[in-house]
Amino acid sequence: MESPDPCDGVDKAALADAIDCLWRRFLPEILRRVAVLEEAAAAKNITSSRREAAQSAAHKLAGVLGTFGLTRGTVLARELELTFARESAAEPASDTRLIEATRQLRIMIENRPSAS
Amino acid sequence: MGRKILIIDDEDDIREVAALSLESVAGWETLTAASGAEGIAKAADEQPDAILLDVMMPEMDGPATFQQLRKNPATANIPVLLLTAKVQSHEQRRFAGLGVEAVLLKPFDPLKLSAQIASALGWD
Repeated sequence: MESPDPCDGVDKAALADAIDCLWRRFLPEILRRVAVLEEAAAAKNITSSRREAAQSAAHKLAGVLGTFGLTRGTVLARELELTFARESAAEPASDTRLIEATRQLRIMIENRPSAS
Repeated sequence: MGRKILIIDDEDDIREVAALSLESVAGWETLTAASGAEGIAKAADEQPDAILLDVMMPEMDGPATFQQLRKNPATANIPVLLLTAKVQSHEQRRFAGLGVEAVLLKPFDPLKLSAQIASALGWD
């Protein structure tokens, strides 16, 4: 016997509308975190403080994007978090990948489909 | 059954979505705190049924907040669930070893968060 769906009786459309509303409210902060990543990815000689800021921004994005339906965004942000966590990050070979990953992240965020 | 959940997280977006989720899906009452210190005070005053506690916070992080909650007789018996975006298994084992009721992962599904909490606490 299947267990009852905990979401039975939930007004999913109203919840989706409310999540969209929160997304719009927090989008400037989310984009600010993306900008931190873009600046770090573009830096030729990244400082440790900028690296830590980028790692923190990526960690926060990884934790929240999937909650707003951007599962692939969480995957990309985790990749960036791990890259910035490594001391040897931003070597020439990884620069291109970092820039491309942050570009994809921004496109994904700016084009998030409505949850409702 | 109505429940009261305290959400402690320094990130505004996570706090608000978690509160929306628990209120809309489960009909639970929520309280929020933006820091470990604020959360400890609210836990003692409000006596929530459970605490959802972020791991990475500035100043007092989740594990340190949890230790303070356990030391205080007013909050020692309130169930605590850690919420973390740290996905590596050794980190999750370390968090579970602190003595919390459960370790939940970010990102969470707003439709399923209350069920995860209820399941972890035997509220089904």
